[in-house]
Amino acid sequence: MRALLRGVPRFGIAGLLMLLVLLLCASIVLYPVVFIVAESLNVGEPGVFPPEQLSLRNFASISQDVGVLVNTLLVAFGATVMAVVIGFVLAWILTRTNIPGRTRLERLMELPYYMTPLVGAMAWAVLAAPKNGLLNQVWHGIGGRGDLFNIYAPLGIAWVMALFEGTVAFVMISAAMKSMDPSLEESSRVFGAGKLRTALRITLPLVAPGVLSAFVFVFAEMLGAFAAAFVLGIPGRFYVVTTAIWEATQSFPPEYGRAAALGLSLFAAMVVTLTISKLIMRRGAYATITGKAFRPRPIDVGHARWPLLAVAWGYILVSVILPVGALLLTSFQRFATVNLADSVFTVSNYVTAMSTGTLGQAFVNSLILGLSVATIGVPVIGVLTWIIYRSQMPGRTSVEYVLMFPQAVPRLVFGLGLLWAWINIPIPIYGTLWLLGIAYFTVFLPLGLRTMAGVVLQVDRSLEECARVCGASWMHQMRTVSLPLLRPGIAAAWLLIFIASVRELGASIFLMGPQSKVISPAIINAWLSSSSELSAAMAMILTATVFAAVILLFTVARRFSGAREV
Amino acid sequence: MNRSGLSKAAVLAVCMMISPLLGGDASAADAVCAKPRQMDGFKTCADVDKAEQEGALVLYSPDPEEGSAKLMNAFHQAFPKINTNFIRLQTGALYQKLMTERRAKSYQVDVLQLTDMGFVLDFQKRGGYVQYVSPEMDGYKADNMSTPKGYWTWSSYIMAGLAYNSNLVKPEDAPKSWKDALDPKWSGVINAKTVTSGLQHVAWYELQKLYGDEYFDKLAALQPRGFDSYVQQFDRMISGQDQIAFTAQYSAYLLAKAKGAPVAFVFPTEGLATTPGVMGIVADAPHPNAAQLFMDWFLSETGQKAYDAIMSLNSPRIGAPPPPGGLPLDQVKLLYPTDWQAFLETRPEFAKVWAKVTGTR
Repeated sequence: MRALLRGVPRFGIAGLLMLLVLLLCASIVLYPVVFIVAESLNVGEPGVFPPEQLSLRNFASISQDVGVLVNTLLVAFGATVMAVVIGFVLAWILTRTNIPGRTRLERLMELPYYMTPLVGAMAWAVLAAPKNGLLNQVWHGIGGRGDLFNIYAPLGIAWVMALFEGTVAFVMISAAMKSMDPSLEESSRVFGAGKLRTALRITLPLVAPGVLSAFVFVFAEMLGAFAAAFVLGIPGRFYVVTTAIWEATQSFPPEYGRAAALGLSLFAAMVVTLTISKLIMRRGAYATITGKAFRPRPIDVGHARWPLLAVAWGYILVSVILPVGALLLTSFQRFATVNLADSVFTVSNYVTAMSTGTLGQAFVNSLILGLSVATIGVPVIGVLTWIIYRSQMPGRTSVEYVLMFPQAVPRLVFGLGLLWAWINIPIPIYGTLWLLGIAYFTVFLPLGLRTMAGVVLQVDRSLEECARVCGASWMHQMRTVSLPLLRPGIAAAWLLIFIASVRELGASIFLMGPQSKVISPAIINAWLSSSSELSAAMAMILTATVFAAVILLFTVARRFSGAREV
Repeated sequence: MNRSGLSKAAVLAVCMMISPLLGGDASAADAVCAKPRQMDGFKTCADVDKAEQEGALVLYSPDPEEGSAKLMNAFHQAFPKINTNFIRLQTGALYQKLMTERRAKSYQVDVLQLTDMGFVLDFQKRGGYVQYVSPEMDGYKADNMSTPKGYWTWSSYIMAGLAYNSNLVKPEDAPKSWKDALDPKWSGVINAKTVTSGLQHVAWYELQKLYGDEYFDKLAALQPRGFDSYVQQFDRMISGQDQIAFTAQYSAYLLAKAKGAPVAFVFPTEGLATTPGVMGIVADAPHPNAAQLFMDWFLSETGQKAYDAIMSLNSPRIGAPPPPGGLPLDQVKLLYPTDWQAFLETRPEFAKVWAKVTGTR
């Protein structure tokens, strides 16, 4: 026991508590994994545990899905590159330059994430569908031939995924940039390097852990992304692993074995990516928050601030203004027509959306889950991050791999694993919000860990050691040194987990029951079985509600922190 | 094949399956309660007080979200003390969800609607339905109900043919038969349903009997896009992204036409692919009395009228009028399986073929 707790603070209770948290989290991740692995080997009746007949046939049949796997890797890689580039450029513009209205713009950057990939994909289908997409209609109107855009093509899918998942990259990278020691940039400038050269040679390497963290995380997210591929891929007959899994699990008898095997095959791709990223991180010393006093100061970019401002607003235009505008227009149409000039406008879609009564409860449930999962999850994840990156506890690296597992398998497959795992225990939580809460915590462990890890790695160990040398207890050191330094990471993790929970789709779609409906599957259902006008009205109501909730949350948070400071 | 042929085959299959389980006198089990209570527009054997005490009703149905929501609202308005809820999934997915829940002894649902007789018979064989002989079942033909009656009852005829965008396709160019739908000119502008649809399974089953596997090789060459519900099929066709819909639901056409959409329907010369909507009370339902009350209301003239107004489907209730603007059942030629058990067994084969047709594999 003593050996096990080596490196953990000598507080017996705290150490035991940490060990407990670690074991608990590892088991809630591993428990559904056992079911996924069992099902991938099951060639008997699907969904029966323990399986009656075992074989590797499901893995062998992956050879028939090579096309789907290639599609997935291509789209995920393309989307990740786009998302990280967009995230890096925007983070640099908004945290390191002096463009006007930075603080407000930074808030606006989060809007696409609140909009969700599902709503984003629905909106871009209205904007850039071949033949009747609004942008293509404008193009035809000015005499253009053929279609300018085809959002159903792989590039279109990657574009939508990048726009609406990309905010994660932005949040992660800008958290790293905010915590960066600017004196290194200043030295570079003093020695005559240009602004671009400084950004590429100094800023980029300094925030490399954040960027790398974001890349790995976003890549995994894209591999398992479902909504955009579902809304845009199916009309284009372009299938990725998640949409193929969806089709496989929705028919009867369901091909659960194939779905589980496909999901696990993506795990291999993720292990490779994660290992590479860990090797890179180990190579360099990335501590940029040191004992020296500094305050990140923006660089004066002179006249370049206007084009940079345009870039930031350009992103808002394509990710918020155009999509919201398109949905708004569609939501007032009687039916979506090939020609905009033929449109008949009505408010009946809103009347129907409000009167069906299924959305209200789903909104409330999603908000309850978002608030509770983020508030309970963040402290737990904080402890986990500290154990993994700061303590000497043996086996902590393997624990990190275990906790990252939910990110490495498509959410749909992990969702099935959670379903089988929790429906097969004698505690009656299936069909309740409790199950969704546990599921969200499990699947968002990697999101929280990645977000906080980027910041933890940057805090120089010497600051904590200094506190301990000066006689501070571990608790006192955490309260006065570690936690304040980690605050940007903690805030980012809370917000990301809150929003990720509110918009969660892949796991919820299998886990929600009649009494525990949540919003994204409700919208998907509306989209699947209601007209695009009605779905647009529902999406507009969702977007407005989420925006209102976020504004309310920020207002309350600001008042609360303001009151405390006073 | 005619309608009664379909129903008789179903009844025969059911009798064969469940007769060993019955043992006793089937007619006694078929009896309605001694004194049905007259409600507003329907009769019931349910204990209304208990139903209201239960205070909730949960429906699982493949009907579009909007349709199920409206149906549940209509029942809730009739019984404001009973809150309603539903889960909407395509029939294959719904049955699979139900099976997962029941295997784990998790009982969430009271009333179940399925649109695939194969699943209905399978569920009955597994003891999934509970028997309740509604006084309103007198309004239905024996071959539209389980034997003995009370396990499930047909609640609609869901029929599908072909439909096209009348702005983009001239009537003389439109297909007249299922075979015409294979014309290469429809390549890339045709859509269909996904593998989860019971109706799509019926269409495949019947067309395979008529034209063999070759039909689907040719269909696959047209690269049809597969969609989960008729709403998406019609949405894309009306918006001009596709020109024709394969396995286009007649009710969807009636609803779209009523909205003024540019859409026309083709009754293929071979007949309309048809599957019934089947409603029954689930065993171990959390709200059994509310479920009985709902069945009575739903099967009554009042309930069927409300349902048909929402869904534009043809009701199997004797004497029920066709949906607004629609043809009555005796004026259309229907295609459906004669042996539902054999039909159920073809599902894996259908899934394989349909994955190729819609390009999922």
